[in-house]
Amino acid sequence: MSARLILGIETSCDDTCAAVVSEAGEIRSNVVSSQGIHDRYGGVVPEVAARRHLELVNVVVDDALRQADATLDDLDRIAVTQGPGLVGALLIGIATAKGLAAARGLPLCAVDHLQGHVSANFLEPAPFEPPFLCLIASGGHTFLAHVRDRTGFAVLGATLDDAAGEAFDKGARMLGLPFPGGPAVQRLAADGDPSAFDFPLAAGVPGLDFSFAGLKTSLLYRIRDLGEAEATRRRADLAASYQWAIVEALAVRVERALRQTGLRRLAIGGGVAANAALRERLGAIGVELAVPAIDLCTDNAAMIAGAARFAEPLSAADARTLDAYATGQRGL
Amino acid sequence: MNVLAFDTATPATVAGLRIGDAPALARRDEPAAGARPGHAAQLLALCAELLEEGGLTWRDVDRIGVGVGPGTFTGLRIGVATARALAQATGAELVAVSTLEALGAAARAASGGSVIAVIDARRGEAFAAAWDAAGTLAHAPAALAPEALGALADPQSAPWLAVGDGAIRFRDRLEPASAAVPDDDSALHRVDADRLCRLAAEGAVAAREELVPAYLRLPDAELARRARSA
Ligand SMILES: [Zn+2]
Repeated sequence: MSARLILGIETSCDDTCAAVVSEAGEIRSNVVSSQGIHDRYGGVVPEVAARRHLELVNVVVDDALRQADATLDDLDRIAVTQGPGLVGALLIGIATAKGLAAARGLPLCAVDHLQGHVSANFLEPAPFEPPFLCLIASGGHTFLAHVRDRTGFAVLGATLDDAAGEAFDKGARMLGLPFPGGPAVQRLAADGDPSAFDFPLAAGVPGLDFSFAGLKTSLLYRIRDLGEAEATRRRADLAASYQWAIVEALAVRVERALRQTGLRRLAIGGGVAANAALRERLGAIGVELAVPAIDLCTDNAAMIAGAARFAEPLSAADARTLDAYATGQRGL
Repeated sequence: MNVLAFDTATPATVAGLRIGDAPALARRDEPAAGARPGHAAQLLALCAELLEEGGLTWRDVDRIGVGVGPGTFTGLRIGVATARALAQATGAELVAVSTLEALGAAARAASGGSVIAVIDARRGEAFAAAWDAAGTLAHAPAALAPEALGALADPQSAPWLAVGDGAIRFRDRLEPASAAVPDDDSALHRVDADRLCRLAAEGAVAAREELVPAYLRLPDAELARRARSA
């Protein structure tokens, strides 16, 4: 095989991911093994996630290679998420990538998870070229980035408390919906009136930062004030209004950032990018909008391998001693 | 047969390389008191040093032995994930080595008597196992409350020697039960690289997917969930 291939490994949260991407950015395979065991705990449990990653990681790597019709012999290098994320979970991917790279004499690239989300936009078949504004919103992170080139980004704003996906999860729980909350809230909201209830949009947070803690509290009070029977009867309206508030809080800051930077191109990523109301709202802004395929928006290893196309590999000595980091600057 | 074996169940990172029947080349990283274990940063670097010293490449390693604990969960996973990946890359055989057995076997070789191996399990608990002088398992590895440790020293099998960082930590529970605990700085309290390699050389080969840490304790969230539903 002549194409130079990159194996990516990503284990920062609860998905065990491996992918093979060509040097040209073509995705040859993108395997995600969603653990599906965290629903019963109502959220991701770090120790449970780490145990499951270890059980799955080698098989997921085998699958990614097989689906790419490749073997370890065809690899040009290996890329792995270094952080931010759950340290115990990250270390499974890191130990695996380090072991494979060392024993095969392959260069190793340490990739920042958030750079991975941004880099999902550079993959074939429809690469979106910088400069652009990028909104990444998921259960773990919510931030706005000015992407000037393919090797980095400047953070323009980030959440001060909960991530947008976390707001969906917590709201869902209050409404008696299952984890993860985003899809469940979206389904229920389809039958509700988004203007039925007023929820706060964190208007008091200046600039381009986000805050979802007040929104969550507001839903709690609203449910309490309605009383159990009435709150249950109006669940769809509550879900629709709550979803509208999250989407609007994100969109307002996207619009502000576009004005401030003068950018006319926008990309989104993270699991919340799957939300239809958010896509519709951002699509109506009137700038060029790139939404990667949904399996490239949620956590995946193709974006990690993709980011490594533009990254410098570690020296062999640094590759052997690579360690994880838990949180990025500002807790993105 | 060339055996590379390592253990990350305790705060130390221990690695050995046994070439043929020669005594193992050994490396060990001990974190300073109060410092975080260096497993992630040290393990592969120590293994690479051993290969260089032995004049071998990764491909020359026929078998990889890994300490599966019990011990600190994160450390165990780094060891097992590293062993699995190395085997995936080279096709080397995998062998699980009980960390308690590595401690116990070394102590029995030194004393000739009955032994208790104890690893500090944090949160005021101990992981422990016991063998009589013939090497027969008298108490299988388990997570125990410190007050239960003394009962492992069955007077019928005396004298007892207790080793491991947990034996140091819970000396006050073991010595009153007539189990001798060597001085804190005794090598018997530490996992020995040569012993790891030998147990790996003798041990049964494990399928990769079956090579998992001996946690001996469920995740807290699972314990809480079971308590709720009980
Ligand atoms: Zn993510």
